Amino acid sequence: MNMQAPDNFLSIEELTVEYPLQGGKKVHAVTQFTAHVRKGETLGLVGESGCGKSSAARAVMQLPRPTSGKVSLDGQELTGLRGSALQKARRRFQMIFQDPIASLNPRMTIREIVSAPLEIAGIGTRADRDARVAEMLETVGINAEQAMDRRPHEFSGGQCQRISIARALALQPDLLVCDEAVSALDVSVQAQVLNLLEKLKKDLGLTMLFISHDLAVVKHVSDRVAVMYLGRLCELADAETIYRNPVHPYTRTLLSAVPEPDPDAPPHEMNLVPGELPSPVNPPSGCPFRTRCPRASEICAQEMPELRYAAEGQLVACHHPHLDGK
Amino acid sequence: MSEPLLQLTGVRKAFGEGPLRVEVLHGIDLTIRRGECLALVGESGSGKSVTAHSILRLLPPNKVSSQGHIRYNGLDLLHASDRQLREVRGNRIAMIFQEPMTSLNPVLTIGKQIMEVLTFHMGMKKRDARAKAVDLLKAVGLPQPDVRVDQYPHQLSGGMRQRVAIAIAIACEPDLLIADEPTTALDVTVQAEILDLLQRMVRERNMAMILITHDMGVVAGRCDEVAVMYAGRIVEKAPVRDLFHKTRMPYTAALLSSIPKVTDPPHRKLDAIEGRPPDIINPPPGCPFAPRCKYAEPACDAGKPALEGGARHQWACIKPLGEEVAA
Repeated sequence: MNMQAPDNFLSIEELTVEYPLQGGKKVHAVTQFTAHVRKGETLGLVGESGCGKSSAARAVMQLPRPTSGKVSLDGQELTGLRGSALQKARRRFQMIFQDPIASLNPRMTIREIVSAPLEIAGIGTRADRDARVAEMLETVGINAEQAMDRRPHEFSGGQCQRISIARALALQPDLLVCDEAVSALDVSVQAQVLNLLEKLKKDLGLTMLFISHDLAVVKHVSDRVAVMYLGRLCELADAETIYRNPVHPYTRTLLSAVPEPDPDAPPHEMNLVPGELPSPVNPPSGCPFRTRCPRASEICAQEMPELRYAAEGQLVACHHPHLDGK
Repeated sequence: MSEPLLQLTGVRKAFGEGPLRVEVLHGIDLTIRRGECLALVGESGSGKSVTAHSILRLLPPNKVSSQGHIRYNGLDLLHASDRQLREVRGNRIAMIFQEPMTSLNPVLTIGKQIMEVLTFHMGMKKRDARAKAVDLLKAVGLPQPDVRVDQYPHQLSGGMRQRVAIAIAIACEPDLLIADEPTTALDVTVQAEILDLLQRMVRERNMAMILITHDMGVVAGRCDEVAVMYAGRIVEKAPVRDLFHKTRMPYTAALLSSIPKVTDPPHRKLDAIEGRPPDIINPPPGCPFAPRCKYAEPACDAGKPALEGGARHQWACIKPLGEEVAA
């Protein structure tokens, strides 16, 4: 299996994130997560709350550093960098957060917010930075002249998210990590921001890691999609394939649970063993989904299924995948 | 068609006084019948939650002024005494809120919280109430109900807490259940389970339900009638199929096409609605949607369009869509 193809721009290898608890216990937030993203590609990361998608994204950002595993961007290993070397590398990867209002400092003007990354990186004179701020604001569809000297509370959620995007793009990063970037927005505004992200990706050649719990949103922006459950990768394939022909039972469950805005859509059968999401402190043995999986058998409790190809470009970690469309 | 169970006529609400007065509801008319599920849809700030909270008068009375009537069972809830209202709240009309953590009391066991309703409204003895509480927890599909009944909300997951909230709401077999974004804080698989449960409860107990949501997907699969709200008004009201297939109000159409769908091809450009919802402090002079509407013409700014149309399908637009079809 050639997992280390030369065109991989972002490589995440065997990423593990654990948070220590009292008494020597640990939260296993992400376990052995591997994914590769090509340049100019968007990888969507989906799953339900607690599946580790945000922890994985933050580990990519080195915020905080993962417990183990390797993250490399354009051949440079980020997990090995320290101090000023890491700070310098950070210019190349930036992040947008879920809550657009909480992620902007209410006491700073928009000018200060968007130019902060430039200042920290020590780029240009004040006039250069102002020009760059104005340019970035216009790029994201904010009237720079009117906005520069205002503060975040004077803007709506959608506008604040545009400003966050401007800030993230000020240093011309190669990689943009969006953690639930549109989840807090109303649908009409959400569509605007999604279209903007798509346009920026095309215009600026951005590589994106797009985290969301909303499968429909993820489909609209992603080239490939990774589905996570309880810290593990279940399935990874190109967007078209994973939505048309999901092979992991969990991916199928997740897709069938999405309410479709069509009164004539047939009611979906959600194939799920009743119960609760197991605790990431004490995950089940073997496959983490087995306690809720309708296909689970003995082997699922004994062995964690290895990642393997179900079809070309479609990776799955399951002992009993739905092959041949069944 | 059966008798209306609850009827709102010309309900207006305003917050604040004098120069700080803000009109938030501009005359809401709604009717709900037994066995029916009515969806109230809209974006944040459209007034859907204020409408729902008005029914049980849950807004702080010193900050709100209201007009109109909310008729239920010979009583006008908007003008009833506190004592009369207490008889209705949680008993005949029950409510489920969005955040199951904050709607439950963290320092009482869930059993106590269910028993409270039963002893207060139905005059049950403690021992009977406890047995009934366990039955209710079982009915809403909570595993190990006899263990859970003595647990506190923090020991339960979000989905389980919402099941408890539902158990409390249906404890007195109400006529009407008001669910304000009951699944917004939950994951999709849990959302599907909770919505299935609500639907089953409504059907089995012949209740009526008002479901408040911003999610058109939830509306499509689970409701009979839909009222779309925008800037404190109902702008379209229709049976669910008509709303999706014979949309008349441009706002509804724009909202429907701005939703990302799992059935769309990847990377489809979304039809975003430009601009943003109007400032409720300084609303536009005419149709509130006119500034964002691609069909708007000067006449749209002349006055607020009233709801028009037939008995079942109504819209507030002077230039409704699909006119050529109707003609």
